[in-house]
Amino acid sequence: MLLIHCPYCDEARPEVEFAYGGEAHIARPVDPSTYSDEQWEEFLYIRSNPRGRHHERWRHTHGCGRFFNAVRDTVSDVFETTYKAGEARK
Amino acid sequence: MVEIAEIAVSAAELKLGTEPVQGAGVRLSLAEGKVRYSMRARDPKVLEGVLGREVPKRIGGTDAGIACLGPDEWYVVLPDNFDLPRGEGLPVSVVDVSSRALGLVLEGPGALAVLCSGCPLDLAKMGVGRATRTVFETVEVVIWREAEDRWHVEVWRSFATWLWNAFLAAMPDAK
Repeated sequence: MLLIHCPYCDEARPEVEFAYGGEAHIARPVDPSTYSDEQWEEFLYIRSNPRGRHHERWRHTHGCGRFFNAVRDTVSDVFETTYKAGEARK
Repeated sequence: MVEIAEIAVSAAELKLGTEPVQGAGVRLSLAEGKVRYSMRARDPKVLEGVLGREVPKRIGGTDAGIACLGPDEWYVVLPDNFDLPRGEGLPVSVVDVSSRALGLVLEGPGALAVLCSGCPLDLAKMGVGRATRTVFETVEVVIWREAEDRWHVEVWRSFATWLWNAFLAAMPDAK
């Protein structure tokens, strides 16, 4: 079973307690009405989808309920690190 | 002619037990006469001011009926003569959720094995007096280790019948 370290609980917990939340560090535009269709499309749909190191959001749904960020290798599925939401990109 | 026993059990045939069940070193019963609160507060100090008592700050910690589930979330299980202040006008939320959940109590040396039949956590390492939200198979539960051999499992009412029967099914194999 894959264990994920929750930075809030400070424990390694089983993957089934977590929910994947997509790519991390995508800020919602402050004023969306100034965005062109292309910019809006990019914000909504275009993701980096890297092979290797990926910054992503996870939520400890069946635990503390918090969103946090993780760095996971998309090839090996190894979690490099996890850190609290709001902290700088690692 | 050989009688073939029915193997399919429909949901309608499952019953929530009203009497405790005992067997294989485990006793399963309903925890009745409880009041439950869900409490949220960004600042625990404001919540402590409302309640007039301390709340556990470490996730998983419990103190006299209050369990800390998350950095801003607490779950309370107390005897039903308790009524907590609501803290109107303050940035806290104290909500009576007594009817939302039921408490199932597993006791005895086999209780741990029954829980481990469906819970992915390493519960043997869970300290006495700790509580956590987790899953049993696919059902969300709050597991509270009240004593070495006594576990209180909070489950939402609609899942309780299934969970009761899942515990029953695991009991013969508990050691």
